[in-house]
Amino acid sequence: MTEIIAAPSVRSLAREKGIDIEKLARDLGRTTIAREDLSGGAPAPSQNNNAAYWDVDHAQYGPVTEEPMSRFAMVAAGNLGAANAAIPQVTHHDRADGSAIETLRSELKTEAQARGVKLTALAFQVKALACALRDFPRFNASLSPEGKTLFLKGYVHIGIAVDTVHGLMVPVIRDADKKGLWQIAAEIGDLASRAQSRKVGPDEMGGASMTITNLGGIGGTAFTPIVNPPELAILGLTRSEITPVWDGESFRPVPMIPLDLSYDHRVINGADAARFVSHLAGLLGEPRRMMI
Amino acid sequence: MTNHADFIVIGAGPGGYACAFRAADLGRKVVLVDPRATLGGVCLNEGCIPSKALLHAAQVIREARDMSEGWGITFGSPKIDLDALRARKDKVVGALTGGLTGLAARRKVQTVRGTATFTGANSLDIDGEAWTFDQAVIAVGSSPVQLPGWPEDGRIWDSTAALELREVPDHLAIVGGGIIGLEMATVYSALGAQVTVVELSDQIATGADPDAVRILHAALEAHDVTLHTATKVSAVKAKAKAIELTCEGSFEGTLNAGAVIQSVGRRSNGPLVLPEKAGVDIDARGIIAVDQSCRTNVDGIFAIGDVTGNPMLAHRATHQGHVAAEVACGHAAALDTDLIPSVAYTNPEMAWVGQTAAQAKADGRAHKVASFPWAASGRNLASGGGDGLSKLVYCPDTHRLLGATIIGSNAGELLAECTLAIEMGATLEDLALSVHAHPTVSETIAFAAERALGTLTDL
Repeated sequence: MTEIIAAPSVRSLAREKGIDIEKLARDLGRTTIAREDLSGGAPAPSQNNNAAYWDVDHAQYGPVTEEPMSRFAMVAAGNLGAANAAIPQVTHHDRADGSAIETLRSELKTEAQARGVKLTALAFQVKALACALRDFPRFNASLSPEGKTLFLKGYVHIGIAVDTVHGLMVPVIRDADKKGLWQIAAEIGDLASRAQSRKVGPDEMGGASMTITNLGGIGGTAFTPIVNPPELAILGLTRSEITPVWDGESFRPVPMIPLDLSYDHRVINGADAARFVSHLAGLLGEPRRMMI
Repeated sequence: MTNHADFIVIGAGPGGYACAFRAADLGRKVVLVDPRATLGGVCLNEGCIPSKALLHAAQVIREARDMSEGWGITFGSPKIDLDALRARKDKVVGALTGGLTGLAARRKVQTVRGTATFTGANSLDIDGEAWTFDQAVIAVGSSPVQLPGWPEDGRIWDSTAALELREVPDHLAIVGGGIIGLEMATVYSALGAQVTVVELSDQIATGADPDAVRILHAALEAHDVTLHTATKVSAVKAKAKAIELTCEGSFEGTLNAGAVIQSVGRRSNGPLVLPEKAGVDIDARGIIAVDQSCRTNVDGIFAIGDVTGNPMLAHRATHQGHVAAEVACGHAAALDTDLIPSVAYTNPEMAWVGQTAAQAKADGRAHKVASFPWAASGRNLASGGGDGLSKLVYCPDTHRLLGATIIGSNAGELLAECTLAIEMGATLEDLALSVHAHPTVSETIAFAAERALGTLTDL
């Protein structure tokens, strides 16, 4: 007996469409497949959702080739469209001083090699975000579907957006506030490599307090990530840049990390977001404070 | 001259005719070949249907008798006219097989009476006539196993002979306590025979839930059926007055029976169509291996029903028949479920589907059981029902239903709810929160679920 729950009619429809239900369930991180899942997720309830925009014969302007969207990509597209349409999102931008983290990482390099763990900047960022969520409990929350109740979470789980050849996957570091840097770094390494081969289980995704999406390894100076519901906010990071910072007497070259926090304005107002990101920047600037 | 078939189905049992009709409905020109004079195979002619007619008669005899015990209604002893009973059974069979002939004609399915054997990957011989075909379906079913070393004697019956209702012997021995043997015990004991069942394994109805089997065992004994489990027939002698069976095991001794029914299982008829001539693989037991889409190893040749192995049940064959027809017509179809319900039409009926606790344990699957005794069912008591049980096997983490066993009157009908529930991934909560009409015995399924959830107020 298969572990995936799907009604006989859904299994039959999937077979007709050539969809492997077990694989679809793995991709979606679920154990139940419904009829709707076979049609690429719910379309975004947008007023501009006029399919006619896309009904264009592109070949009249030059040569084109066709490539089918994967199941995975279609489901993700539906979810992102729905999230963007449903949540009034604002993105707040700030920067954090990355010097101390860089110093710590180079000091711990030998130990990291000995432990066989890659101590990335992301591990510090996960830990700092977890501490900040402990300090700002209203950011570690989710709205009820009808928007009448706010569920404040007594745990801190951090989602990590991982770029894979199959598409975006978001495995979750559980109880990141209670874990040490070494453990967080090791879990990130493990989850990220398994995400590449799509070997992350459904129980290792979902339930995050907030998600981090770090483009620092690629580049960029700022972006506006889309909140991953039912989370209230998402933290985006781009590449650190050496910036002259006036310390009162002279300019000092400081590696500054750009921080972009997109948040659900129905719950979080701009002042709270500014305070939260400023606090987070403080933790990143002085990583010792995370340990206290 | 060679005949040609676009789509040929070999065997007109419940799998074969379902396959032929489905293919015709999908626009194919279909030939349906069977050696019998009537369509319907073993199921209609000498299996499921005639046995149910006799079981109905047996039930009426028993219920009439039971009314004198505490209900204050006493009938005289039944007068049994075997010829009339046989005629009635044959009338039921005739109505159904005749109906099939009409259904075939309406679909323009060409029926050919004869025995088909392969002569190549696209050719057949039907009683000396050469045929070619584009696609073929092997649906030739199974036959009762004949025990080796037994004498040739008209008093030794298989299930087919038993259903012919030749006579009711004073003493009937039944070798093999599976579903067929127990149904025959139910019929012949009601008709007045002293019945003894000899079963090799420790329990009658091997594979069924032991709690349910205990209830069935007690009920059969209460109907004066003698059950010898863990007993082997070591010698058979055809004597002038009786067939003498020498038994070894937990029962040691001899049985002298006016007739003996062999019901030790069924064997695939696969070898009879000479599948090897078409290149179709067949194993030593005569089973033709197929995938979920009923395809054999040879392109364009399908196999369905008993020739594809266990469970050898009509309803599995019917579903496979539809699948084979659809796949042959280019559709993506498959029988992708293990949920094939089993029903013993004994008195009381016993029915089960999915995993028993023993199977779940053997598979290393986490499971729990919950049951509701029919002694606490108002409808069962008011209807004069005896002991019964509804028992669910479920996953303790998700509360998903994994299997169900029901014993009691109409258990086979009640089981359908559980089969649907498992197919839909239903949980105990789903069963408990679906409103069941009161008073019905169907409530016992919801009550078993409530019992597991701790919400039951009826016990």
